[in-house]
Amino acid sequence: MTDNNEKDVIISLRNVDISFGRGKKAFKAVSNASFDIYRGETFSLVGESGSGKTTIGRAIIRINQCSAGEILFNGQRISGKLSHSLEREVIRKIQMVFQDPAASLNERATIEYIISEGLYNFHLYENEKDRIEKIEKIIQEVGLLPEHLTRYPHEFSGGQRQRIGLARAIVMEPEFIIADEPISALDVSIRAQVLNLLKKFQKEKGLTYLFIAHDLSIVRFISDRIAVIHKGDIVEIAPSEELFNHPLHPYTKSLMSAIPVPDPLIEKNKELFIYDQSMHDYSINKPQLVDIGNGHFVFGNEEEIEKYKIERGEK
Amino acid sequence: MEKEPIIMNDGLDGLFEFVDTDSFESEKITAPRYSYWKSVGRVFFRKKSNWVFLGILVLILFMSFVWPLFQPFSLNDPANENLLHPETFNNSPAEYFMSHPFEFKYILGTASNGDSLWNKLWTASRTSLSLAFICTIINMAIGIVLGAIWGLSKKFDLIMTQIYSIIGSIPSVLLFSVLSYVIGVGFWSFVLALTVTGWLGIAFFIRTQVIIIRDREYNLASKTLGTNIFTIAFRNILPFMISVIVTLIATELPSYVSYEVFLSYIGIGLSANDVSIGQMINAASTSWMIRPWQFWPPVIVSAVVSIVLYVVGQNVGDASDPRTHM
Repeated sequence: MTDNNEKDVIISLRNVDISFGRGKKAFKAVSNASFDIYRGETFSLVGESGSGKTTIGRAIIRINQCSAGEILFNGQRISGKLSHSLEREVIRKIQMVFQDPAASLNERATIEYIISEGLYNFHLYENEKDRIEKIEKIIQEVGLLPEHLTRYPHEFSGGQRQRIGLARAIVMEPEFIIADEPISALDVSIRAQVLNLLKKFQKEKGLTYLFIAHDLSIVRFISDRIAVIHKGDIVEIAPSEELFNHPLHPYTKSLMSAIPVPDPLIEKNKELFIYDQSMHDYSINKPQLVDIGNGHFVFGNEEEIEKYKIERGEK
Repeated sequence: MEKEPIIMNDGLDGLFEFVDTDSFESEKITAPRYSYWKSVGRVFFRKKSNWVFLGILVLILFMSFVWPLFQPFSLNDPANENLLHPETFNNSPAEYFMSHPFEFKYILGTASNGDSLWNKLWTASRTSLSLAFICTIINMAIGIVLGAIWGLSKKFDLIMTQIYSIIGSIPSVLLFSVLSYVIGVGFWSFVLALTVTGWLGIAFFIRTQVIIIRDREYNLASKTLGTNIFTIAFRNILPFMISVIVTLIATELPSYVSYEVFLSYIGIGLSANDVSIGQMINAASTSWMIRPWQFWPPVIVSAVVSIVLYVVGQNVGDASDPRTHM
């Protein structure tokens, strides 16, 4: 990943391993993950449940510890032990939008407190009036009303709650937002509302997103680049359209073949491609994530990479 | 935007008209504003029996804390006009009023030195209730603070769990009797005896509750916003525990009243110079068959206080659970 020097890298993962438990019981959730996220883009992580997408997101925001490797934010290491001031800076500049809008808001606090929480912690306001102005502005930007500030989360619908969750992240004026399946828990009719808000804020504030999802149609709509992760290994990274037009890794192909087609005739006769990990023979030749051009990285051993390159070239 | 006219041929022309959609209007909440404590009161008073129990509780509190101000009582009070008349000692109300004009304070008869049993009863009730309130406040305060730290800090958990299992395995009656020999008997040494380990059980209970709430996602969200652990404990965890804390108080308060009765009865509670429900029952218990008017009033007050405090506390506890606020 050296030929992208001209782009401004905001987050960089370098050979990150994340494991839970110790000794014999240790479980490696993510192994040897390396990728860069460029400033201003939306980078998506897709994969099935339990593949380690959320774990990576939580490692960046320092909820999970890395057992090996390092994570860089604006060129500074943010994994492991940090100085107090750097830690505060990282907390302020990296924010997170959670999956479940019902569980991620404090049920016993008013919306005013929930949105102001980060402002209080970093004292990001000049005086009380300034704070009220800030939260009134942000709540209107997410399409809610200032009169909602005195209400409690249980009075809102799922979509409204998720917008409150977004508002409390945006009001911190972060540089980077981790959106951990922000729309998975929402009704289909209001998913677009939240996605459009995310896009609007990206345009206005130059935000960078790490978008974690498993719904490929939404990922295609929102992302600039996509990383596919399978059982803790990143198997393919490519720009959005490149990945959808030329999926190379068999796991990516199986994901693509699982996208439903809104035509019953095609859907009925569609042949699903099922990925079996045992098809790879990695006993002698260890696999690596290799750049095969066009910003396309695939995970495989030398033999497979040659095959992928030919496949990509033919198309 | 120009709207296309819809041609209606069913005779409804003019009955319908287009309205503009207002996206902000659809976000409005029409439900009345929610206030936590108002809702607690509403749910509590919705139940008619709660009015009765609360009334009894207020009456008992009034008699215990206000009545003795007007009718002070102390043992061997020189102002006791019956002290020099042994024939008035241990009189039942009937016996007393046969030889004396009616006086309200002798409505329950007299104690062993001609004292008004009625006044003695409420002074005793004041002592017992004060004891229960002081012990509850001390134990709850220590228990909640340490329980919160215990639940939040994994290091503290390791140490405290050991302390809990060691101290928790000492029989409490044994501890009380050793303490009463060492520090003597009396009101404040009794408070000390009840609070020296009393907070431990409460702290353990709070710790378990904190662990249940601690790892919920909204606490993680607060952490990613940079909220420190004390604010998380105070703003995120404590409000969820009001209901369990009130319920706990409802069981703690009556338990100290019964503790006092029980320990005074076995002789390691308050001293004989203290006027308490336990001491009154203890003094009357040997002759309860021949002088029942000295025995039953303190027993009834103790039982009613326990039941009323428990019922009112449980119902406030239920009302403070927002799931009942619908």
